[in-house]
Amino acid sequence: MMEDLELSELWKQYNQKIERANILNLQSWVLHLQTFEYLQTEKAKSRLNAVSRWKKWVAALGVVWVLFLVFLIVNSLVWGKLFFVVSVAAILGFNIYAVIVYIRHTLLISEIDNSESLIEVQQKTAELKASTLQATRVLFLQTPFYCTFFWNFQWMRESPLSFWLIAFPVAVLFAIFSIWLYRNIHLRNANKKWFKLLFSGREWTSVIKSMEYLKEIEEYKKQL
Amino acid sequence: MSSANNHPDFLALILENKGIILKICALYCPDKHSREDLTQEIIYHLWRSGRSYDATYRFSTWMYRVALNVAISFYREGKRRRGDHSLSTLHLEIEDRSSDMSQEKERFAWLQACIQGLKEFDRALILLYFEEKSYREIAEILGLTETNVATKISRIKDKLKQCILNNKK
Repeated sequence: MMEDLELSELWKQYNQKIERANILNLQSWVLHLQTFEYLQTEKAKSRLNAVSRWKKWVAALGVVWVLFLVFLIVNSLVWGKLFFVVSVAAILGFNIYAVIVYIRHTLLISEIDNSESLIEVQQKTAELKASTLQATRVLFLQTPFYCTFFWNFQWMRESPLSFWLIAFPVAVLFAIFSIWLYRNIHLRNANKKWFKLLFSGREWTSVIKSMEYLKEIEEYKKQL
Repeated sequence: MSSANNHPDFLALILENKGIILKICALYCPDKHSREDLTQEIIYHLWRSGRSYDATYRFSTWMYRVALNVAISFYREGKRRRGDHSLSTLHLEIEDRSSDMSQEKERFAWLQACIQGLKEFDRALILLYFEEKSYREIAEILGLTETNVATKISRIKDKLKQCILNNKK
């Protein structure tokens, strides 16, 4: 079996090789750092620079959607549109929550202090990324309201059968389904087919990976 | 608390300790081109985190924390060369052109490959151990207890020795 000393010796030689490379590239590094300082001073003026273009787009889209919902409510404030207003208001509430959580977490990720310990920083980053799934769970609760915005008292009075036998049960079904999703969207179900189908794509893969990473970190901390 | 990135010598300090960056990049990024991206990202974060530098700690300890955190995140996100380098005219050569001894190269390649085969935190642990950091300092950088560090290092060393021996065969 190889000795500890042999291993350290091998590292020392490897280290010397890197040190030699260090001397060879000194001039290149000096130039690089000087140019870098100039460019980054400009770049760092906005903290939003650290946030990826994709995340900015998602947040912008969320804000536009929220504004559109507010516009719908403001222009429908009459008694005859009660169900519409209540449904859109509920959808608005969930979306405001999601947009705030998304923007807050995106900014928090870009502001994490990398000079803290490795475990601390990696855990915080993974927690923030994984929390996207939390926000999505909550968003699913809005689905039944997409089945109620077209309800009205006239429909209930004039076609009670179609309302109570079709529209109402469909809304109830959606409510049950959304509550089920809210309760079951969890890492413990990440390997199930429905979960993979629901959360496919690059963005989601990274969220799921973050959740698994969190578990790994916890185990690493405990492991002796 | 002293602000490092406002300090006129901040870039000189990075320059002085650039061996740390080179080693971390070599261990977390096998691909030479992505390694240049990682190097730039580490320098950017060092510069950005400069204000959190506490002068009561050694600069190298602080630098290890920042650089390792950036490298682990970079590695986990599986980042690849973006191809939109604002600094494309300045290459960061991190290869040693002076060493052409094939046997020596092979041994280093084994060592590097074996370390690259370890999990992210284990890679950081063994790097710090080889850099002769005390268990206390390693524990501070990683955020673990000293006992945990000692146990893990002994386990990683066994893994590495086994890996190198397997490669020799």
